[in-house]
Formats: sequence, structure tokens, C-alpha cells
Amino acid sequence: MPLNIVVCLKQIPNPDLQFQIAPDGKDIRRDALNYKLNGADEYALEEAVRLKETHGGRVVALTLGPKRTEPMLREALAKGADEAVRVAFDDPAAFDVGRNARILAAAVRTVPHDLVLTGVQSDDYGNSATGGLLAGLLGLPHASVVTRVTVAGGRLEVACELEGGLQRVVSVPLPALLTMQFGANTPRYAPLPAIMRASRQPIKELGPSALGLQGWDSIAIPYSFGVRGLSPPAAKGHAEMITGSIEEQAKRLAQMLREKGFVRR
Amino acid sequence: MAEHLEGRTAPSTLELIAAGRDLADASGGRARIVVLGHDVKELATHLAGYTLDVLQADHPSLAEYTGDAYVQAVRGIVDSMHPRIVLVAHTAQGYDFAPALAGAMDLPFLANCLALRADGDRIVALRRILNEKVQAEVEIRSERPIVVTLRPGATAPASLGRGMMSVTAVPVSIDPGKVRVKFVRLERPQVEDIDLSSADIIVSAGRGIQKKENLALVEEFAKAIGGVVGASRPLTDMDWLPKTRQVGQSGKTVRPKLYVACGVSGAMQHVAGMKDAGLIIAINTDPTAPIFEVAHVGFVADVLKLLPAALKELKV
Repeated sequence: MPLNIVVCLKQIPNPDLQFQIAPDGKDIRRDALNYKLNGADEYALEEAVRLKETHGGRVVALTLGPKRTEPMLREALAKGADEAVRVAFDDPAAFDVGRNARILAAAVRTVPHDLVLTGVQSDDYGNSATGGLLAGLLGLPHASVVTRVTVAGGRLEVACELEGGLQRVVSVPLPALLTMQFGANTPRYAPLPAIMRASRQPIKELGPSALGLQGWDSIAIPYSFGVRGLSPPAAKGHAEMITGSIEEQAKRLAQMLREKGFVRR
Repeated sequence: MAEHLEGRTAPSTLELIAAGRDLADASGGRARIVVLGHDVKELATHLAGYTLDVLQADHPSLAEYTGDAYVQAVRGIVDSMHPRIVLVAHTAQGYDFAPALAGAMDLPFLANCLALRADGDRIVALRRILNEKVQAEVEIRSERPIVVTLRPGATAPASLGRGMMSVTAVPVSIDPGKVRVKFVRLERPQVEDIDLSSADIIVSAGRGIQKKENLALVEEFAKAIGGVVGASRPLTDMDWLPKTRQVGQSGKTVRPKLYVACGVSGAMQHVAGMKDAGLIIAINTDPTAPIFEVAHVGFVADVLKLLPAALKELKV
């Protein structure tokens, strides 16, 4: 049975960077960031492409974000997505996951879908919420933290990771939504010809009017959300830092391990 | 919302009780805990010992957790009780359920919060974002119940009080035909090559070791101090080490006498599994890495340089 798959991708600032707070305290400084495809979403994309390769169908890569997300969408095309769609919600921070999910849900409704995939969480805000919210808003059955997917007879059998290495296996009818866990598969590299081809493929842009909205602010949201402020974390405690050259640090480390009795001599 | 599996309450449930009671006390409200399941009277009675009233929702469709059945059952409870906040643990089950409930009922949602308070008509939440490097205070105002997930480990758990509160059975309306997701089975973790949780000394490798080949260096260091090698999630995901070596929320929780974190950034999910180690030594090139917050001793250094130098010192 061919599957129409929508995979939701998020572009995030490289989480290994150091971050500075913007002068107004409401966002991080974004002028010198480099952006990448969110880690868990790489696995969602790979799973989508593999399911298409096995069962036939089509993969639409969907994102919500400013123009800078286009290289990420081209990367998805090069890795096997058939179509790329950018919902042109240009708020660079987009802190309110509820608003993002409501806009994304409106966009997903415009694309035929048997299966919607997201990553389990985004490494920038760590809400682990977009997939679940989408499932609720779209009325789709769903499963989260998925490490394994098999398709049989119009249903999916999926393994969901719990704490402590336990997995809960559930059966979910299609259409459905899954949030994919890190390590669920091995994401591929895009071959060069595919990268060349993707660079010429069009990216479909959806503005508010395409989703039946006057503007992004007119989407119905049953609450008001605000960022009061960002700050460096109030450290609960901090390590005693050992400075010096590598040799000096190594001496201190060895001395410490001896003093605490972890090494005999 | 209580969480339980195979008759045992999740540790995060006691944290929810503490956070819920505090928030209710501070705002003149009342905290109650909801236990969903089938034949869970014993569990419900136990929770009533934590000095808050228990609502017990019993139904055969709730015998095993599924998002579908839980959302249906809680929808009925939320509609009849109109709570200001629905508090859920930010666990694998919690973040399967909570956002789906918020989406299905069109409710406001705050995820993965460290702390919560009421400020007039607003609910203010403290969050950590961007690999734990930035703290964010956000607020929501709504006429509708707000669904919130609370990060495990961020609140001190409640302890048993004196006396018992009431356990009330609440009516559950579930249409089994609309429970689309079916529970199949639980799978246990694979058999272990070594038991990390009984080790006195663990040397853990993270992405900072850069290449699989560099594991040999970590192994050598671990051997020199009589320890075993653990790993952060990215390494087991890449199959550099077996899944049984993973320390963290989805892997092992460990309490060794010594924990050396080598190139581990200290993401929430890793820290949850090792923060109670006796002595934590962290080595990382990024001075702002969150691992230095839980470590007792920190080295801002490239682990690929520091370990060989330390090995040399240990052999002297």
C-alpha cells in the first residue's frame, strides 16, 4: 500500500554553540548563528524515505520558518523527499509551540497524508510537543519516541521507547502520526547528483492566505503567550575548575585520582 | 496525572504531587491527583497517603496506557472539573499524552518546565532551552485549563504525610471503538555485556571523543583506574557502544563512587542518569557545557589531549 508521508522538519541553531541573550532579553542574538536540521528530524526524514522506498508513495518535507530554512529543505529533497513545502511564518524565535503546531496543522491539512512524522524533540527548545499537539489537533492516532516501524494491513506496529530501556509496542491504524527517536535508523548521506538536482527543485511556499487565514495572527489560539525574559541559567552548583596547560591539568587529575584512592600508587 | 507501570508509581509522580500541592497552596487552590487504570485501587490508596485527594478512573480500556484512551478519559474529567492546570510529568509517556490532550481539547500547553508559579491571572514557567545553556521565563494567560509537563528531577519529591486523604471513583466514559491505538506488549532491555549500575567507577564517553577509534583511549583510561566505560546517547545511537552502556533517562541510572564524563555535554537526559554519583569529574572543551553544573571538578580541555597526558602521569 503506497504511503503519502508528510515529514515535519525544524531548523535549529547548532546546539553546540555558545549563546548570547539579545539586548531586549526576549531572544538570543541570532546574527552570528549557524543553523542545521534538528537531530531527531534527521531520523524522521530517513524513516519517511525508507517507508516510501519499501511501500511506494510520496514524501513531502514540511517546515515552518523563515527563508533561511530553504537549504535544509533542499537537503531533504536530496535525501529522498519528493516535495518541499515552507510555511512562511517568519518569526525567527517562534517560542510558542502551541502556535507553531496550530499553523503546521493547518498546513498538513492541505497535503494528502497517510502518515505524519516528526522528530521526538527539537534540540533548541526541547518541548517534545509538536508531534503530540499535531496529532491532537488533526485527530490522528499517534505514538511517540518511536524506534521501530513495520507496516502491515493498514496498520503500523511501532516500538516506543520508555525510560530505563523498556519499549512499549503498540499497533496504530493509518492515517497516523509518529514522533521518531534518535537512533531509529541510520540517516543517509545525499549523493552528489541528488544534491545538484535538489538545488534546482522548487520549494513551495505557503503564506497565511493559502491556509485560509488573513494573517498569521488570525489563527485561533485560546490563550496569550509571552516570553518574560531569557537569562543565563542560574547555576545550582558549579564544578571547581582546574585550569592550566594540558600537562598541569593532567598532573592535577592524576593527583586527585590518587588522593581519593581511585588509583593505587 | 499519576504515571504508573506494572503496578508501580513512576518516581516523577511524587514530584508532581509536591509541585501541584505547592502551586495550589500558593494560589489558594486545591491539588488532586488522577489515577487512570484498571484495578488500580491499591495504587490509588497508596497515593492518598501523600495528603492530597485521589480521583480514581477505572476502566478496562485503561489497563495499559494508550494516548487515545487516556485522552478520552481525561477529557471527561477536565470537562467536569475545570482545573486551572493539568500537571503531567515530562516522561516518554507524559509527552506522548499531554500535548495530544492539549491538541485534542484545544488547550494551552507548556512543556518541560522546571518550575511553575501563578502570578495573578497568569501561569509563569521556568524552562531551560538551547542545550540547557539559556533559561527562559514564559507566561500563559487563558480562561481554559493549561496543560503543563514538568521535567523529572526538577522538584523534590513529596513524602508520605500523616493520615489518608480520600479516594473518589470518577465516572469514565470511553468508547472502546474510538481507542485506535492498541497495546501489543512490553519489551525488556537486551541482556547486558556488563552491568553499569553496579560499577564503582564509570568513565563515560560523549560526542567530544569525535571518532569511534578514540574509544580505545577512553577504555585505556577506564582500565587504568579500574572502571568501566559508559556512554552518552549519541554514541549508542551510532552503535559505537552497545545500548546497555548508555547512561541517562532512556538508559541506565547509575550511582558510582566516581564518574568521569569525557566530552559529554550534559544534556538533561544524560544528567538524569548520573547526577547522584559520588564524585563527578567532567572534561569538555566548552566552558558553558551544562555538565560543569553537576560536576564537582571540571577541566576545560580536549579529552583527546587530557586523557593521554593523564595516563602518562598515572604510569609515573
